[in-house]
Amino acid sequence: MSAKNSGNRWQYAPSSFRSLWKRFLGFMLDWSIVYYFLHASMYLYLVFWGSQTIAGWNYYKNDAYAAFFNPLRLDSWMWWLVLGGTLLLVVLLRSFGRSLGQRAFGFSLQGVERSFVNAIQRSTRVIVFPISILFSPFQLLTSVIRKRPPGRGLLHDHVSGSSIRTYIHPSGLPKKRIWFTQWGWIAIALLSLTIFLGWVIIDANLGVLINRTDEARRVFMDIATPDFSHFAVPDPVFYQRAYPQMFSIINLMVLTVLMALAATLIGAFFAFPLSFLGARNLMCQNRTGYVVYSFIRGFFNLFRSIETLIWVIVFAVWIGYGNPFAGVMALVIHTIAALGKLYSEQVESIDSGPIEAILATGGSRFQIIRFGVIPQIIPSFLAFTLYRWDINVRMATIIALVGGGGIGDLLFYYRNQGDWSQVGAVVLAMIAVVWTLDYISGRVRERIA
Amino acid sequence: MSQPYLRFENLTKVYERGQVVALKNVSFSVEKGEFLVIIGLSGSGKSTLLRCINRLIEPSAGQIFVDGVDVTQLSSARMRRVRRKIGMIFQHFNLINRSTVLTNTLSGRLGYMSAWRSLLGLFTKEDKKLAIQNLARVGLEDKAYARADELSGGQQQRVGIARALMQNPDLLLTDEPVSALDPATSHSVMQYLEQMNQEDGVTVLASLHFLSLARRYGTRIIALKGGELMFDGSPSEIDEAKFKEIYGDEAEEVEVR
Ligand SMILES: Nc1ncnc2c1ncn2[C@@H]1O[C@H](COP(=O)(O)OP(=O)(O)OP(=O)(O)O)[C@@H](O)[C@H]1O
Ligand SMILES: [Mg+2]
Repeated sequence: MSAKNSGNRWQYAPSSFRSLWKRFLGFMLDWSIVYYFLHASMYLYLVFWGSQTIAGWNYYKNDAYAAFFNPLRLDSWMWWLVLGGTLLLVVLLRSFGRSLGQRAFGFSLQGVERSFVNAIQRSTRVIVFPISILFSPFQLLTSVIRKRPPGRGLLHDHVSGSSIRTYIHPSGLPKKRIWFTQWGWIAIALLSLTIFLGWVIIDANLGVLINRTDEARRVFMDIATPDFSHFAVPDPVFYQRAYPQMFSIINLMVLTVLMALAATLIGAFFAFPLSFLGARNLMCQNRTGYVVYSFIRGFFNLFRSIETLIWVIVFAVWIGYGNPFAGVMALVIHTIAALGKLYSEQVESIDSGPIEAILATGGSRFQIIRFGVIPQIIPSFLAFTLYRWDINVRMATIIALVGGGGIGDLLFYYRNQGDWSQVGAVVLAMIAVVWTLDYISGRVRERIA
Repeated sequence: MSQPYLRFENLTKVYERGQVVALKNVSFSVEKGEFLVIIGLSGSGKSTLLRCINRLIEPSAGQIFVDGVDVTQLSSARMRRVRRKIGMIFQHFNLINRSTVLTNTLSGRLGYMSAWRSLLGLFTKEDKKLAIQNLARVGLEDKAYARADELSGGQQQRVGIARALMQNPDLLLTDEPVSALDPATSHSVMQYLEQMNQEDGVTVLASLHFLSLARRYGTRIIALKGGELMFDGSPSEIDEAKFKEIYGDEAEEVEVR
């Protein structure tokens, strides 16, 4: 309680715009949860019983599928009903006991001087709230103009003599296990409802697994008896227009590993200098540094969140479908972003002592990086780079799916032919290479660390 | 006597985070060749004071004159030139752990090197010779090619001293140089500092936790309390009463032999 507010009879009011904003966020969280329950039950009603029309709800009962967005097809008057109903439910939830929204933002309902709130006060809040909420934008506006939070609290706070404030556990009361609180059972209900909805929407059917065993057995048997006739000798039937010559499995495998190696080295080459620009401890000393840091980190995060396969789609159009160079470029882009992020986090975790020491001897920024930072990070940089090569080899085996070249071309060619024995041979080659590299890089990383 | 070598005028430091006033209007001066010991309770601002001199920490207000130059006003390029004449020794040694002792020692020359030479790690023959000499001076010439983290604490601090020697400093700042070391090692490290002070004429500012060490090595003592200068005088002037005033009534003096 700030000194300015003490002695004020409205001391239960939130003390800052920040806490007001958090109260609002908590409220929206509760509202979303209540609406989610309503929406989900309407959807489940459609799926299991929805044969009759309901006034105000224009779902297409003749649709082959009950779509998850069908509960949104409400007339406007029905929307008002839903809005009002959920609002009231939320207020009930928040006025009696602690809601998920309050819990998540660390709030609870308290009276003046953190006193207990009785049932009459709680009921008053629920009754006054619908009127109060209509006036709240006005109250907030005036408080913004006066540059201080609403001193008297919102209307429902004021009338009920209670408000939602930073939670303090009542002394003397035992702490309840989380699953026995309102928060706990709402969370459990939310989780199980979502799992059930997922099951219904995906239309998971375990029966299929059993009905189609014969078909699957035939394919599996073929794969399990791989045909190695084209392991070293190119298959004359396989022709991929991006390649000037014919390829055997082993040729393509070498190509794939080299693609990954090239992508890793080029990626690391660019990620290395960028990682220093993306390290908070080196950059965030002045405003320009901060701008560069944010830009580089934004770049890393954005480009990392776009999967390699999507980059392949882009570069396959640009460079040529099935061209290994397209695959390499896609891997390079993703590698720069992923390694850049890992590298800069490593730079951020270094010991600042040597940096301080070199600064004190009159060293420049470059000298600090060269002598204070790089010796500390080299081993982990090497380990990350090796690990990335590992990932890139695995990725390079499948990027052919969208035109990235490599051994995947052969795999998908044989799959489309239904030649499962050849598929078996290719897959076995992939497993052998990936496993070997995994083992080697694992051992090397152990040695470095 | 024209002007003192080092002069502090109303030095104030406020840490923005937490609004901590670490130094309050500290003014005093230091003559060339002094061995000044700074004492005070933990959190009294000793480290802050030392780090303000070479601007590892930016002072909030006031001035610091080093050899007549107000370092608080210097651009970062000119500050670097001033820094290379100011050696610094740290409580936790601050060596580059994965590099060799020789490289760590040579890093004291960085301020004197061109950017591209240092980027390639091309130290001159003379620098290397000087590094070996300085390592020999602290008794570590046989460890030159060992990794820094293979050394004991006392040995690491001696590498720190060799690194400072490489700068050929006029001023040496040492922030609790021996508080991570045992008593015997402490004395050997302090004796190297004393030697630099007496033989090379380096002005030394050292913060120390033990009054006995301060009395033994210091030519003058200042005490800080809550960021304010509360004692400035010769070691012999600190009696029981002064001690209680600096460290609080509960404190007992501990000897380091
Ligand atoms: N980076 C920082 N940010 C905020 N406050 C700080 C920072 N560094 C130090 N302080 C505060 O400034 C005050 C002085 O700290 P300083 O490190 O100078 O004390 P000290 O005398 O060296 O103590 P010690 O003997 O423990 O090393 C302390 O109250 C400390 O909490
Ligand atoms: Mg300190």
